[in-house]
Amino acid sequence: MTEIINQIFALDLKMKKENNDSANRYLDRIYYEFESMGFQIVNPVGQSYRNEMTDVDANILGELNKKSKITKVLKPVIYHLENNETKLLQKGIVIVE
Amino acid sequence: MKTINFAIDLGTTNSLIAKYDDGNVKIYNNPLGLKQTLPSCIAFRGNRTVIGDKALDYLEKDAENICMLFKRKMGTQDTYFVPSIDKELSPIELSSLILKELKNFVNDEESLNSIVITIPASFDTIQSNATKKAGYMAGFKEVVLLQEPIAACLAFANTSAVEVKEKQHWIVYDFGGGTFDVALVEVNDRELKVTDNLGDNYLGGADFDNLIVENLIVPFIEEKLNLTNLWKDLKSKTTHFKGLYFEFLKIAEEAKKELSHYEETEVEIDIDIKGENFYEQFIIKREQFENLISLKVEQTITFIQDVIKNNQLLNSQIDRVILIGGSTYVPLIKKRISEAIGVEVNSTIDPTSAVVLGAAYYAGSKPATVLENEKEKDTVIENTLDFKLFYEQNTRDLEELITGKINSDGASSFRIMRKDGGYDSGVKLLEDGGFSEFVPLLEGRLNVFKIQLLNSAHDVVKVIDTITVNQGSYNVQGQPLPNDICMEVDDIDASTTRLEKVFTKGSILPLKKKIYKTASKTILQQSKSNLIINIIEGKSKGLPSSGLSIGYIEIFGKDLEEDLIKGTDIEIEIEVTESRDLKINVFLQSCDQEFKNVFSESERAISISKINMEINTILGDVEALIQTNNSEENFEYSHQLETIRVGLIETQIAGSLINEDDVSDAKFQLDDRKRKLIQDFDDLTRNKLIANEIETYNDTKSSLEYHLNIEGNERFQEKYGRIIKNEREVINSGNKYLIRAKIKELDELYDSVIQSSDENFISYFLNLKFCTEFSNQRRADKLFKQGDEALEKQDYKSLRHIVYGLSALLPDYEKEKQKSFKDDSRTGLG
Repeated sequence: MTEIINQIFALDLKMKKENNDSANRYLDRIYYEFESMGFQIVNPVGQSYRNEMTDVDANILGELNKKSKITKVLKPVIYHLENNETKLLQKGIVIVE
Repeated sequence: MKTINFAIDLGTTNSLIAKYDDGNVKIYNNPLGLKQTLPSCIAFRGNRTVIGDKALDYLEKDAENICMLFKRKMGTQDTYFVPSIDKELSPIELSSLILKELKNFVNDEESLNSIVITIPASFDTIQSNATKKAGYMAGFKEVVLLQEPIAACLAFANTSAVEVKEKQHWIVYDFGGGTFDVALVEVNDRELKVTDNLGDNYLGGADFDNLIVENLIVPFIEEKLNLTNLWKDLKSKTTHFKGLYFEFLKIAEEAKKELSHYEETEVEIDIDIKGENFYEQFIIKREQFENLISLKVEQTITFIQDVIKNNQLLNSQIDRVILIGGSTYVPLIKKRISEAIGVEVNSTIDPTSAVVLGAAYYAGSKPATVLENEKEKDTVIENTLDFKLFYEQNTRDLEELITGKINSDGASSFRIMRKDGGYDSGVKLLEDGGFSEFVPLLEGRLNVFKIQLLNSAHDVVKVIDTITVNQGSYNVQGQPLPNDICMEVDDIDASTTRLEKVFTKGSILPLKKKIYKTASKTILQQSKSNLIINIIEGKSKGLPSSGLSIGYIEIFGKDLEEDLIKGTDIEIEIEVTESRDLKINVFLQSCDQEFKNVFSESERAISISKINMEINTILGDVEALIQTNNSEENFEYSHQLETIRVGLIETQIAGSLINEDDVSDAKFQLDDRKRKLIQDFDDLTRNKLIANEIETYNDTKSSLEYHLNIEGNERFQEKYGRIIKNEREVINSGNKYLIRAKIKELDELYDSVIQSSDENFISYFLNLKFCTEFSNQRRADKLFKQGDEALEKQDYKSLRHIVYGLSALLPDYEKEKQKSFKDDSRTGLG
């Protein structure tokens, strides 16, 4: 399932990049279905990066400091809720600048 | 006899921990990640120590405070000076920190006194003793060492059931991410012994990724964009191509993995370069990749040949080559070794975990000499540790401050981890006997944290794991919803409408949610049929008409650009703003059409026809109930019902006197009156109705259980178990629709049980004899006669059909009810 989520996420990014929002509604629906299956998909783009975030693998450009931000997300963070317990299913792969 | 059971692969770049348990080996996962491996890397950040994956973050910025690859320095006098803590650290001390971190992978309740730690075959006595010392420093009372190639052979032998009767020579080929080792192992029926080894500390799989970037990806881009010197520029510190090098390495790594399985792979480059988007694909063939890496692979082959030659052996005297290390997934490696040495190359064991796996098998057979008597000391400290924690249990923020005060000298540092694996503070020093830490929260979830308190030697002295922070719920500053917000939907099975909860009472405004429904009826263009979106504030368990309608949209056939077809999707977005405005956005997928409406208190829409329709529905129920109670001589109850009936009729009459476009507040008064009456009815009947439903549920269940216990029906047990699994929640919900749905599921199962055998129809047939409501009594009598004959002949197949015939003659109450649940009384939302 993580691979399917990754592909949808990539598709979403691609469409946003091309300023194509005609399919947003369908993507939202797909995300909603993932959510109802217990998956929580997090796109941390734009967030400040802290080394304490163990849910992402960061590729850090230049110096890591308090202003460092996640500028690109290659793979999203995926959590899964099972038996009322949230578990990390996939670490995000991000670029930090 | 107690055995050691636990084993650690203390690697140059990665480490693992595993446990032998009754014939099986469990390799522990890092609780903060998804991997079994822990990078052997430590970052010192002043008062904070970070171990593993996250230490690698500081590699670029703060290399002098990062310690890694220290295994290579084990047993030397070399130390690492760490400026940020102004301290010299020995490889032993650093290794002990890795070992302690691995201990964390194991559940807290396990006592871990004895351990097997693996070492390279090349380690001399001093290096070995240094490793042992690191083990003791990490708090182990007993440390047993095992050579890595031996561990790999054990992993292979234990998982493939090979029998060795005479002396054999095995080669262990270990090609990791950053290092390469080859060992010659002598195997006989009693023991395994490493006789020789060679290696290169700077040869690994990472070299392959770099080769792909340098020779395939970079030239492709250079050609397309007319660039030169890209490879050098990418790696330069002052590069214009920020981040591209890492992106390319990731792409290369993926391509490498793909090419281990497929003949070719498509590489997709989608990057922003010099402010422009560049998007192209190209194919890498396995052959191209193999040509690139062949030089590196040949180097490793030379090592094997040297080790064989140095021991005066011939290739033919090598019985088997065992591959371990992540790089050995590459097929060329296996192929080239078998060509060059001409022996069986075995790649059946997982190359990453083989060493720790074999070591755990060894630990499972090795008796432990230390008993569990050392625990007491820890307990004493733990008991005297007095601490206080401060934090908000519920918040809407995405961060929460956890503050702790520790009144003891036993602890000198702390560490906070989120249990889902998404956050780790690292080990930090306490300041003035306490700490304050902002922790990130996962949106809309219950976030569970674990706090460890550690002593100056980084041993855990106390674990506090009762900290939970609920993100997105009650907060004093936010404005909570005073009632549930629900939407009216069709309940086709019960031939009525019911409420579906959208937002729960107490949720904090603003709120927004998308709901996906399917159309439960077809609405043709220009038809008078309509779709109703009715948003109601009130108890979600109550009747739709008992709540306050706060938003009402009717979409008629004439509003549609295309027909709305039954079964197609309807998307409804509902938003309640902080100032309590309600926004509804309806999207009909089959018509590709959107309807928007914003409701606020002053422009609440109420439809007289809707009020009328609701009163009609309830009136029917009220009247039926009055009749039943009268016949049961329950006059007091029916009197109360009568008052409601009169009130409803009066409201209806008042309604008929108002025009639909009336602008006064008469409509609202009417709606209010209707609601109060229906609420009264609801209160009066709800408990009774629910009690009835529960009774029906229990009856249905016990008759089903009777049949399930009959021989031959065991196969239905599983499905039955599934149905009743959440029985308690359903019964306690007090929601009759949920209970009804459960009864329906039980009924369906009952039917399949009965229909699975013709003999089950006997009791059915006999019961039918008591019925008197057949629509055609003469035909029924005839069927009964035929049935008796079939019964006598034990012809149960015919009896089954007779029962079907008789049932068809009985009146169908459900059908009648469904008929009266006409299109215009439905919302159209399934």
